[in-house]
Amino acid sequence: MNTSIVPAFRLRLRTQPALRLDLSGFVPQALDRETPSGVARRTLWHGNVQVPIGEFFDVEAMAADGPELVFEGDLSRCDGLGRGLDGGRIRVEGDVGDYVGAGMRAGEIVVTGSAGMLAACEMAGGRLEVGGDVGDYAASALPGDMDGMRGGLFIVRGKAGARFGDRMRRGTAVVFGDAGDFLASRLVAGTITVAGAVGAHCGYGMRRGTLIFAGPQPEPPPTFVPTGHDVQVIWTLLARSLAVHGGPFAALAAGRPRRFVGDLAADGKGEWLLPA
Amino acid sequence: MSAAAMLELNGVVIDDTFAEAFPMKATRLVITAHNATWANHAAVALTGFATSVIACGCEAGIERVLDPGETPDGRPGVAVLIFSMSGKDLAKQIERRVGQCVLTCPTTAVYAGLDAAPDADRTALGKNLRFFGDGWQISKVIDGRRFWRVPVMDGEFVAEETTPVVKAVGGGNLLILAHDTEAALGAAEAAVVAMRALPNVILPFPGGVVRSGSKIGSKYASLPASSNDAFCPALTPLAKRTELTPEIGCVMEIVIDGLTDGDVAAAMRVGMEAVVARGAAAGVRRISAGNYGGKLGPYLYRLHALLGKGGAGVSRSNAPRLRNGLAVQSQPPGA
Repeated sequence: MNTSIVPAFRLRLRTQPALRLDLSGFVPQALDRETPSGVARRTLWHGNVQVPIGEFFDVEAMAADGPELVFEGDLSRCDGLGRGLDGGRIRVEGDVGDYVGAGMRAGEIVVTGSAGMLAACEMAGGRLEVGGDVGDYAASALPGDMDGMRGGLFIVRGKAGARFGDRMRRGTAVVFGDAGDFLASRLVAGTITVAGAVGAHCGYGMRRGTLIFAGPQPEPPPTFVPTGHDVQVIWTLLARSLAVHGGPFAALAAGRPRRFVGDLAADGKGEWLLPA
Repeated sequence: MSAAAMLELNGVVIDDTFAEAFPMKATRLVITAHNATWANHAAVALTGFATSVIACGCEAGIERVLDPGETPDGRPGVAVLIFSMSGKDLAKQIERRVGQCVLTCPTTAVYAGLDAAPDADRTALGKNLRFFGDGWQISKVIDGRRFWRVPVMDGEFVAEETTPVVKAVGGGNLLILAHDTEAALGAAEAAVVAMRALPNVILPFPGGVVRSGSKIGSKYASLPASSNDAFCPALTPLAKRTELTPEIGCVMEIVIDGLTDGDVAAAMRVGMEAVVARGAAAGVRRISAGNYGGKLGPYLYRLHALLGKGGAGVSRSNAPRLRNGLAVQSQPPGA
């Protein structure tokens, strides 16, 4: 392995930025054949001023088997991390700010801490895992856009804020903790599974797609109605796929879910699967 | 046949000849159902009337029965292989057969059964059948694979959107020459049991055996193929050219389609070994194979070599490969 060719760097946050720091576009592939000092000279938006990365981060090269960035420290003031990622890996050992993984198309992002708002919004592929909580509008659309998350795998090991999966169109989102109000509102398609409790107005305006409740079973709202048929085939396919996440998802396949469809106010082709 | 070319095993003479096979396109489908009975019903119907590409459009067969632990949805299943002369023909047959025989069969679901690279050629499976749902169909993408869920009267029919199409080999064959019908059938049945135990191959004819081997052409201008008179015992004293001797009273053929030439070769080998194991005492006199002088297809399976008696078991013909017309004639009528 030639580490001078594979762009792999460790960035340790030295100083908390006074304003929001925009990491959009700072992805591993953009650093091909770059040196640590070269990376440190690259600039980021800090508020409305461009500043060198080295002003906030200590940068060092590291061994890796592919393009990779590792961030250490509390990056909760750093937004847009991994935005538009199209390959390679990013790991954050700590919290991160808003827009993490927004619009990513491939590759992998792992955040050991929590993430801010709009995580995975308009994510189209790849894998994003947040070890802690995510803020509001995760897996949703950017303000003014029609479609939210549209591909890939999004894992939240903590709690999710409100409007999780708003206008989501494709892909799979897995939430181990609770979810806030308006979960899966206006969901176009895709699969969301939640192991914790959900807030008010779950599935509001849901058009298509699947909501799976691996933990507490919420009472479907009046705009959702039960279907009495056997869904064991698609349930087994889904449950086996989710079982790899372990914990409350490991034994889903053993259940025989009740199925509700709705939101009847929006054509009623969305489904809730309640396995308990 | 020269004495030098003579190979006799357990009293059974193995002709110094080769089987000739040709390229096809193939896919594997996995059909599951509420229980093994209904999975089998669907698979039997799907692979029915699929003995030869001449008039059936494809050659298909049950590859093996699958345990619930081997299927995507944890239900009993059946793996079937379907072969056609082109990807276009294959697509047409899949749509018709799955639509009429699997979608209609209670409790079934159907999945792609071949592992393939993401950029491999694929053809529609549930992609067009979904329209039977009249707008009520819904799709579900799971781990990158799209499934269609079509509402039907017993619940929903689940079909994977597409299935990979791979290059394959059709027309491998063995001819079993025996003293009488009982001996020929017994040997053929033993060979079929041994060959069907192998993966990646099917024997598309009824019971795996065909009695109507063909030669190219006919005295009737409209027929591309006709009875293989050189191997018809009824014509031994009459035909201008015969491959039989008076003690041969019955000939059976086994046709093999496989996903690779190695699969076809392996099936031919175990088939011959099964016949040889029964020996001449069981009434089999010779094992031969059908070929067209290397003009039909690029895959030549030399019987002696397959049994480890020198040379490569599978070789490539240098003759120009004739497409369509002759390829169709490679099989007997209905073969």
